[in-house]
Formats: sequence, C-alpha cells, structure tokens
Amino acid sequence: MDLFKSIAVAASGLRSQSGRMRVIAENLANADSGPDRAGAEPYRRKIPTFQRHVDRELDAQVVDLGRVQRDQTPFRTKFDPGHPAANAAGQVQMPNVNSLVETMDMREAQRSYEANLNLISSTRRMIQRTIDILRT
Amino acid sequence: MATPSFAAGAYASIQGMGAGGLMRKPSTLTTASDAGPDFSSLVGKALEATADVGRKSDSQTANVVSGRSDIVDVVTAVAESEAAIETLVAVRDRVIAAYEEIMRMPV
Repeated sequence: MDLFKSIAVAASGLRSQSGRMRVIAENLANADSGPDRAGAEPYRRKIPTFQRHVDRELDAQVVDLGRVQRDQTPFRTKFDPGHPAANAAGQVQMPNVNSLVETMDMREAQRSYEANLNLISSTRRMIQRTIDILRT
Repeated sequence: MATPSFAAGAYASIQGMGAGGLMRKPSTLTTASDAGPDFSSLVGKALEATADVGRKSDSQTANVVSGRSDIVDVVTAVAESEAAIETLVAVRDRVIAAYEEIMRMPV
C-alpha cells in the first residue's frame, strides 16, 4: 500500500537525519581536540553526505547517509607556546570546526527530521480516517 | 467478500437446528461454500497476517531494548501493525453487525 510506503520512505529520512546529527555531534564535541604532540594533526571536521537510492522492495526512492567526508579547509591556529604540539613560532593547529556553522547545521537537521515526522503522522492520520469509514 | 452469502448460510443452518434437526440442511450452505472462498479461512488468513505484523513489531521493540535496532524501525513497525489490527477489528465489527441484522429479521 502506498501509504505504508510513504511511511517507510519518511523513516529512511529520519534515519539519515539522525546519522547527520551524529556527525554534527562528533564535530561539536571535537571542536577543541587539538594535536597531542608536535607534527600531529588536530581533528578534521566531518561532512555528512546523503545518498539516494531506489529501494527495490518498496519501489520508491529512499535516502541513506552516504560516505562521511572530511572538510579540507585549513585548520585554525592558536598562539600557545607552552602547548606540547606548538611549532617554533608558538602556534598550535586547532580543528577547522566552527561551532556557529555546526549549530546551523544542527538546526537544519532538526527541521528536516521534524518534516519527516510530520509526514509520518499525516500518513497515519490518513490511514486512520480510511479505516474509520468501515466503522460508521 | 463472501460475507452476505455466509450470513445467509448461517441463518439457514441455524433455522435447521431450530427445527430439531428434522429439517433437511438447506442447500444454500453448500452452494455458499462452493461459490467463493470459505469465510473461516478468510478470517484465518486475515488473523494470520495481523499476527505476523504484530510479531514483527514485537521483535523490533525487543531489538531496540537490546540496542540492536533503530527506534525509527519500531515506529514504522508499530504503525503498520496498528493499522492492520484496526482494519481487522473494523471488518470484524461490520461482519458481526451484518450477522446480527439478519438474526433480527422477523421470520
């Protein structure tokens, strides 16, 4: 039935958005994960990607969390001569995570999740109303 | 669905019982079962399908509790089983209402 299919498709959206949320959580949690020794790299920001594919069983396009890519923008630098990973100039490389950007991404994931939730509850209401015809 | 013919058959057979079994069993019953699928098998199949969906949602819930599955899967499985059960209950109510309607018929 098409209504159950749309619930399944929306569920795939929920799954991928929660995966995106996990990646954002990793970025935010590691916003200060600098290098522990000289020459080591700090945490590199992760970017979630979405992959669409046709579910043969459902006969509909669903979405999956694709490969999580790495952000190639340069790292932030911080002046901290006492840090064990500081270079000769006293600079330490810090992760290329901007917590403002992460917060906006989080809001976007939240909105998209809510849209999919609304679709599920609307679909359920439609099924419910259809069954209610039998009762009257 | 073979509902009206089933109700007619049931009515006829009960009428036969009322006569102390002396009356010959009406032929409507046999023609009803010959014509379409058996009503009891229909109900059995519907129950089987509903129970199957219910089992699926149960196992999904167990998976989530043990941390092996996503809560989204439980929500979809429970929504599906709820719809299946509600459809079954609604159809059952309608069939029983039709049967009672026939039983109230003055003879």
